[in-house]
Amino acid sequence: MTLSTATVPGARFVDPKVLARIGNLELVARSVVDGFINGLHRSPYFGASVDFAEHRGYVPGDDIRRVDWRLYARTDRYYIKEYEADSNANFAVLLDVSKSMGFGSEGMTKLEYGRMLAGCLTYLVHRQRDRVGLVAFDSDIVEFVPPSAKHMEVALHVLDRLTPSSPGSLRVPLNKVAEHFGRRGVLVLISDLYEDPDAIMEAIGPLRFRGHDVIVFHLLDRAELDFEYADASAFEDLESGEQIPIVPEALAEQYRELVRAHINALTERFSANRIDYTLVNTSAPLDHALFSYLSTRERLTRVR
Amino acid sequence: MSFLTPLFLIGLAGLAVPLVIHLIQRERKQVVQFPSLMFLRRIPYQSVQRRRIRHWLLLMMRLAALALIVLAFARPFFRGSDPALAASGGAREIVLLVDRSYSMGYGDRWTRALSAARSTVDDMSAADRASIVFFGSATDVVLRSTSDKARLHSALAGAQLSAGGTHYGPVLKLAGSILAESSLPRREVVLVSDFQRVGWCGADGVRLPDGAVLTPVPIGESETANLAVTPVSLERSTFSDQERVTVTAGVVNHGPAARDGVDMTLEIGGRAIQTMRVAVGPNASASASFAPVTLTGAEIRGSIRLADDAMPRDNAFHFMVSPGRPVRTALVDRTAGREALYLSRALSVGDAPRFVTTARPADGLTADDLQRTDVLILNDVQVPAALAERLGRFVERGGGLLIIAGQRGTWPQERAASVAALPGDMVDRTRGPAGRLVALEYGHTVFEPFRSPRSGDFSAARFYGYRALTPQADATVLARFDDGAPALVERRVGAGRVLVWASSLDIEWNDLPVKPVFLPFVHQMARYLAAYREPEPWLTVGSVLDPGRAAAGPADIRTVVTPSGERVALDPEGGDVVTLEEQGFYELREGATGAGPAATVAANVDLSESDLTPMDPREVVAAVSGSGAELAGNAGTVELTDASREATQRLWWYLLFAGALLLAAETLVSNRTMIR
Repeated sequence: MTLSTATVPGARFVDPKVLARIGNLELVARSVVDGFINGLHRSPYFGASVDFAEHRGYVPGDDIRRVDWRLYARTDRYYIKEYEADSNANFAVLLDVSKSMGFGSEGMTKLEYGRMLAGCLTYLVHRQRDRVGLVAFDSDIVEFVPPSAKHMEVALHVLDRLTPSSPGSLRVPLNKVAEHFGRRGVLVLISDLYEDPDAIMEAIGPLRFRGHDVIVFHLLDRAELDFEYADASAFEDLESGEQIPIVPEALAEQYRELVRAHINALTERFSANRIDYTLVNTSAPLDHALFSYLSTRERLTRVR
Repeated sequence: MSFLTPLFLIGLAGLAVPLVIHLIQRERKQVVQFPSLMFLRRIPYQSVQRRRIRHWLLLMMRLAALALIVLAFARPFFRGSDPALAASGGAREIVLLVDRSYSMGYGDRWTRALSAARSTVDDMSAADRASIVFFGSATDVVLRSTSDKARLHSALAGAQLSAGGTHYGPVLKLAGSILAESSLPRREVVLVSDFQRVGWCGADGVRLPDGAVLTPVPIGESETANLAVTPVSLERSTFSDQERVTVTAGVVNHGPAARDGVDMTLEIGGRAIQTMRVAVGPNASASASFAPVTLTGAEIRGSIRLADDAMPRDNAFHFMVSPGRPVRTALVDRTAGREALYLSRALSVGDAPRFVTTARPADGLTADDLQRTDVLILNDVQVPAALAERLGRFVERGGGLLIIAGQRGTWPQERAASVAALPGDMVDRTRGPAGRLVALEYGHTVFEPFRSPRSGDFSAARFYGYRALTPQADATVLARFDDGAPALVERRVGAGRVLVWASSLDIEWNDLPVKPVFLPFVHQMARYLAAYREPEPWLTVGSVLDPGRAAAGPADIRTVVTPSGERVALDPEGGDVVTLEEQGFYELREGATGAGPAATVAANVDLSESDLTPMDPREVVAAVSGSGAELAGNAGTVELTDASREATQRLWWYLLFAGALLLAAETLVSNRTMIR
């Protein structure tokens, strides 16, 4: 499938460079997802695949093509051979568009980075014949594109229009998403996660409990990670507008310590809940970040 | 704490400057947009606090430095008691200065001064030591650093008023040196005086040692009334060949009330001659002239007396009137004075001194003439060797010789050692511009009266001819012509003086005799050659008398009789001087026994002392107190002035130093902050 950058406004978020790198990779749901079309993901249902699942006794009405004749020859009973079904998945990107995402110290803001990430993933999973959807939220849901096999272009359109406008929180929008997405699927949360780890878990927990495969991309600018400010200045919170006078040199170390602790807490909690968590430094090239994540995930999936 | 210049405290408003800068600095700070202050807010309290502390420290340092500097400019001082005073205990070294100038004789001042001095001695503890110094125009250390009260009391009992004036400077300096030698912990100067304004002419660098305390004991009254005679003026005149002197005397009223009917009596030779009655206004003076007194051959004693008042010393004024001593000149020329018309005319004019001129031909000069001549003038005379030898001896003996070279004047070559210069060839200046006198030696006695501008113009005289002079090696050229040739050459030969004039002193070769400077010029030359001195009619108590010079002629003064009748024997070798300490007539006598007086000298008190205007004793205290010294409250509870308090405490210096130090520290701290 080709993508015309001239026709689709959001296509600029699909970076050919990135695609060239990740083109041979797949984003496969780690857990079972619901789907109707044969796809890459494990389905909760048995179906046609090469993976043998179990035998069960024949009951009238079963397709006699699925009777294991070899077993019948040995046991003289009819057994039906059941196979794992591979399914296509609901795939939705949950993109945080709160004001804090509008921050970027070196040209590209976190939101732009997130949009590219979302665009690339959307394209990737669309190519896998998964249904793609998009949720943009700040303190509430801002845009919603329901997952559909035909919605990639819509999703890209919506991505194109997004601007950071108001302060964000995770709990309300994510709870709504959890309520709305009845079918299990893959949810990619792209956010800077400026909340308490416990609050984040509280917000993401419901998604996980519903059986969704949740992947979290934690976008942070290099400035947020390293805090390499020199001059004493007033620091203004992008979301609340509050100002605090800061002498960076005096508290950079403490700040970095806190950020590390935050990331560690997140990593710990997410892994405990089997949520994929990836910290993305927006100063690193997207292809590199995405490639390393996807290849790691693929490898881990195989091992499992 | 008080301030000497509190207006400078307005500068404290300058403290707002760093504050404003601080505020502006904070406002101007750029705003950094940051996604979330979630983490920063977790450490905000501490971080803001730390930042503030550092800035507060800088701010405080700046403010404190500024405040210190402003305070330093305001010159603070403490009014409280001085530490030196508070630290009582320890033995005292007391220098008791008692004023015995004659103004202390006013009323009962002297009695009160002595009793104040006695009470100071009585207040001494056993360990204290005291020195007693009486002072007037001279200082007299009677006792030096003793703790024996009996000796101190007897020294005070033997004290007498002097006739001198008051001079605080020397005695305070002496007191300072006595205190400086002392090893006792507390040092004090007690100054018993009437604190006359005239005795104080500034501290003159007098400073008591650090820690020394000056306690003034003012004796004077608030209201004083005093009459004093002023120095007389003597006007000489000649009336029918007799010299007469008119005495004019004055009286000064140093008091607030006008005085009518003040009698002034003129005494001549001890007898009252005439009494004049004058009226004097408050703080004013009046004068009167007495009838002329005809002078006889000898010098006479004169006195002016007023009726006694509270201070009798300045009511008498003594003087000597001596007949004028003429300068005897002998004018020698070829025609016995007929050629030297201008010269003889010039010498016939003059009162002080008179010139008595005798004219002699060159070959008619006798030994007797030379004996009776002070100044010998050779006008255009060819001097033979024999005469030159006699003249040489005359000069050696102390005579004055003026050689006017003129057209024909010569001096034998072999006797050149007796004169200043030898006249040589004539220089003709009739062609071309005439010669002028330039390069006058105005520092010399001859030309000294012409020194100041418009007091005689020698350059107006034209010189058409003169002789080229060859000055001796040790001669001084006093004047030169415009071509550099010497015009007037002076030389001292033995006890006498020789002047050589290159041109003539008539109108043959120049027009100097018709110029206004001619008369004073001739008089000056004659005075100088005669070594003439104006006789001094009186001296002042405190000055020094050289008996050898005081006598009119060459006399061997061996004894001086003071006004109180005391005989002072002088060193026969000469060179002894007598300090005049009493008011009245000093008689100088020849020989050891001294039959009659060879000369008499009148001594008067210093009349400036009769002005009893008092000064504030604090002025003296402030001027001479060393740092840390303060006034001890005594009879006169005299307070230190603020300025002197401040001057002794010198707090401003420490404040300024602390401010500078703080600024330096501030620089260091702020640098360190910036680097980190």
